[in-house]
Amino acid sequence: MSDEKQQVSRRQFLNYTLTGVGGFMAAGLLISPIRMAIDPVLKGSSGGDLANVGLSVDDITADPQRIDWSVDQVDGWYESEVSRSAWVYKNDNDEIVAFSPVCKHLGCIVSWEGSEQHPNEYFCPCHDGRYYKDGTNVPGTPPLAPLDVYEQEVKDGMLFLGDVIPQGEA
Amino acid sequence: MKWKRSDLQQYVQAKEYIDTILLPLVPIQLSNDEETDKYSAQAEVMSILANGIEKELTGRTMLLPNYNYLKTVDITTEVQRLNNWTVDMQQQPFAHITYITFDSRWKKEEKGLIGNLLWMPAVQTGEIHSKEMQRIIRDQVGQTVELIRSYWN
Repeated sequence: MSDEKQQVSRRQFLNYTLTGVGGFMAAGLLISPIRMAIDPVLKGSSGGDLANVGLSVDDITADPQRIDWSVDQVDGWYESEVSRSAWVYKNDNDEIVAFSPVCKHLGCIVSWEGSEQHPNEYFCPCHDGRYYKDGTNVPGTPPLAPLDVYEQEVKDGMLFLGDVIPQGEA
Repeated sequence: MKWKRSDLQQYVQAKEYIDTILLPLVPIQLSNDEETDKYSAQAEVMSILANGIEKELTGRTMLLPNYNYLKTVDITTEVQRLNNWTVDMQQQPFAHITYITFDSRWKKEEKGLIGNLLWMPAVQTGEIHSKEMQRIIRDQVGQTVELIRSYWN
């Protein structure tokens, strides 16, 4: 027997093997908790998904119009179709604005010119909350913040809307 | 608002704003096979309708869980039970108690009821989730919302 063949002794061989197998087992045990710990990083962002609301940009005028569409919402294991609505118009700078119709007071659905006494304003039927055309709440009415605005994008001449962005107190 | 913990917590904070109860009256029965189809379908439509109304008027309306009763029972015996429910609700400052139902038998007992009865004919065309049905229900929601609002003024 030559010296080279005896470079790995029986003891060393067993040590290497046990360390290797032990390492694999430890890695196997650790991978689940680690994955779980960094789970939020692995998950793709569910926000920012914009949905085609079926409205052509050319049809948007200076008068707010109500549009309804639905999105698939995944809530844990429960997947459901949620209907959403918005009031869409073009402001004086020719920018498209999409308001959420949910009143900032207690959550009723507001409508454009919903009251004959208050033309050119959004009106909430529940407690007479009012908002100006730019979404700002009319002082002295119950709401304390302007209407939420939808995140938006225009692709191929169609309007896409995403999540609502609160406008903060005014 | 609905009969949920989070909504009720909000209700207790903002009682003065929520003055309307919406209570669906829904009959059930299992003894007759043909009838089960009809009444379960009506219950589904009522659930969509009631939730639609609640969504429009969340900030002023409380949608309660269904008032269920046996279809075969004599409706006059239910009047007292329903009134007992209503008396309990009136412990809170609810100015408008509204019952909503597809069961026309309530209409005859309307005088004996404490709250307002909204009876409407049940419409059923094919699948509940069909486009046609959705359009009809949306229309019914809109008209019912108008009616409830007229009581507020």
